[in-house]
Amino acid sequence: MSSGLAILAVDDEPRALTDIKRLLETSASVERVATATSAKEALVYLSGGRYDALFLDVAMPEIEGMALARLLRRFADPPAVVFLTGHPDAAVEAFEVQALDFLVKPVTRERLESALTRVEQHVRGAEAAKAGPTGDGAEATVTGPDVVAVDNPKGGGKRLVRLETISFAQANGDYARIVCDDGRFLLRTPLSQLEKDWGASGFARVHRAYLVNLKHAVELRAQLNGTAVLIMRDDTEIPVARRNVAALRRRLHA
Amino acid sequence: MQDPIQGRAESGSSVSVHFVNNVLAAAASYIEEDPETARDVLAELGAFLSHRLRGPRDISPTEELEHVGVYLRLEQARFPGRIEVELPAARDLPSARILPGDVQAPLSQALGRWLAQKPGTVRVALRARDDALDLQLDRPDEPGEAGERLRIPLGVATAGSVT
Repeated sequence: MSSGLAILAVDDEPRALTDIKRLLETSASVERVATATSAKEALVYLSGGRYDALFLDVAMPEIEGMALARLLRRFADPPAVVFLTGHPDAAVEAFEVQALDFLVKPVTRERLESALTRVEQHVRGAEAAKAGPTGDGAEATVTGPDVVAVDNPKGGGKRLVRLETISFAQANGDYARIVCDDGRFLLRTPLSQLEKDWGASGFARVHRAYLVNLKHAVELRAQLNGTAVLIMRDDTEIPVARRNVAALRRRLHA
Repeated sequence: MQDPIQGRAESGSSVSVHFVNNVLAAAASYIEEDPETARDVLAELGAFLSHRLRGPRDISPTEELEHVGVYLRLEQARFPGRIEVELPAARDLPSARILPGDVQAPLSQALGRWLAQKPGTVRVALRARDDALDLQLDRPDEPGEAGERLRIPLGVATAGSVT
């Protein structure tokens, strides 16, 4: 990414569009902002120029935001999609269409900047992936949607949990119990699958029953029997199996 | 037997989070270029929420009509130039006991549907008819297109008229 971001904001509500345009134009991360009042108009813009991300409303006449996001996934090199909507309940569907982020109107400056940071990371990852292993050495991982939908214990439905807020996952039969900043949730996915899905996001299997977010770990404490204990930043102690200790030390450069 | 007003209380008192969020976004958009309008939108939103969040209670059609007026002005702030409004005079309304939202909620559903169908102006006309209100929606720019009519009963009618 050689310069600031190019953003296309799409919303059928002209005042909401005015608001997000002003916020985007006054962000240091953004170089260019175009606006469209319908999905059709957005497609015209996309056919005529390159945009790093779409800030997309959900409810719009004729072609809704979700339908446009699904259509964009068929593009060879689609822009990132950030939903910006008054519909807080649309979050799960948004992440199903691989949206990079989901903002609820009216958005705060801080939350918008957080979304723009994610767009920048996404663009950098995509550029590094294009450059390949002989490129400039940047990490070639494209940042994807790093949230997981869990059963909401309060009132049903789904609750979205960001991976970065998860401290660890603990095996619970065919399920996994995740412990995160907002509490504990049950996920209907075995730990072995989570290990595959989250491995690239900084999670490590340290024990048959534990998958740990290493960004939340603060200390690796060796035990006399060859095992170890990983101390998390909330002082939780996670057992590290003997056979995982060496690999964990290498990964932590410990 | 359930009180008809109590029975309608739950659905009638609910407020759309989507609507509130979008009105707040519209208000935010006016802050720099037109602070007076931004303030007015926020004040109208305050009036809207006060009417609805005070909970189920008997009100007159006149009070609900004022609430409908507030609601429509908020929608006009969200969609400048897209909504034309015709409301009945208070003196034409029948005397009745209704719940907050009894008229606004079905009107909101119908208007939302019309705004979402396609761009362009939508005309909303509410007319008093005996113990009910007739809601009519159409597109003034497309006279050939069929409109939609909806009859909104006004709760338990009582004798006399509201002045």
